[in-house]
Amino acid sequence: MRIACPFCGPRENSEFSYLGDAKPKRPGPDAGEDAVYEYVYLRDNVAGEMAELWYHGGGCRAWLQVRRNTVTHEILSVEPAAGAGAASVTP
Amino acid sequence: MVEPSWTATTPLSRIYAPGRHGVKNDAARLSMAELTGFELVQVMARRGMWSPTDQACREAYGQAAPAKPQATRAEGALLIWSGPDQIFVLSPRGSSLERARLAFAGMASLSDQSDGRTLLRISGIKARDMLAKVCSLDLHPAVFPAGAAAATSIDHTSVNLWRGEDSAGDDGAAVFYLLVFSTFAESLWHTLLDSGAEYGIAIDAATPWQG
Ligand SMILES: [Zn+2]
Repeated sequence: MRIACPFCGPRENSEFSYLGDAKPKRPGPDAGEDAVYEYVYLRDNVAGEMAELWYHGGGCRAWLQVRRNTVTHEILSVEPAAGAGAASVTP
Repeated sequence: MVEPSWTATTPLSRIYAPGRHGVKNDAARLSMAELTGFELVQVMARRGMWSPTDQACREAYGQAAPAKPQATRAEGALLIWSGPDQIFVLSPRGSSLERARLAFAGMASLSDQSDGRTLLRISGIKARDMLAKVCSLDLHPAVFPAGAAAATSIDHTSVNLWRGEDSAGDDGAAVFYLLVFSTFAESLWHTLLDSGAEYGIAIDAATPWQG
């Protein structure tokens, strides 16, 4: 599997680390215990297209948001994650 | 009180053996060297400050800060892309950190990596063949010309790789440079020696980086 880093170009899988689902967003301070529990522990087990966070630690050290089909491993898009590149992307 | 005495060594000095390595029945088709006496400053633009950082770089070093994987020769320094909105400033030992501090004050975070990295030079007509065994990037001149750079991994070790100007010697071969974390330098050096042994390697005496 290769991931086309938007900063470095196509690179082999071993240069990247996988964090997981890109969807969960940290709940606000008043969201309550259930929302925090869900954010920390509960994950969908997607068979198909999924947005994921990957880290290009063996290259430019940017965080990337990758849309990948978990069944076929087809990669549909790769974008810098919010905050990657101080000027390019605003969180 | 006894004054302690310090001997400055390089990360490779314990195992560094200038001379021939690998097959010896013919002229060496690869040459490798550790380059010493450099200063290396990591410059990371703060959020939203890439444009002023680039502008400051033009004023202080006479060249744009590389915004894509390239190594740019500038006044008294080589500017090497190292990631989004960040570059390395590589200079001969001197006052590089102070120069960078004055140039980028208020817009970028700096860190001195002079002793944190080891700098290697790889050249000779078999340099590409040797690197092809350990590096997954395409280093063909059509896609990796002089001045191209990359942040990648070799043997599971993060490196910054770039291609300098071609050798002035009669082979006119490509010259590659590698920056590696100092504590990984010994391991990477062994890997590169193994990879190049079949071509015959001339290991040059460690010399200061000249820019
Ligand atoms: Zn990258």
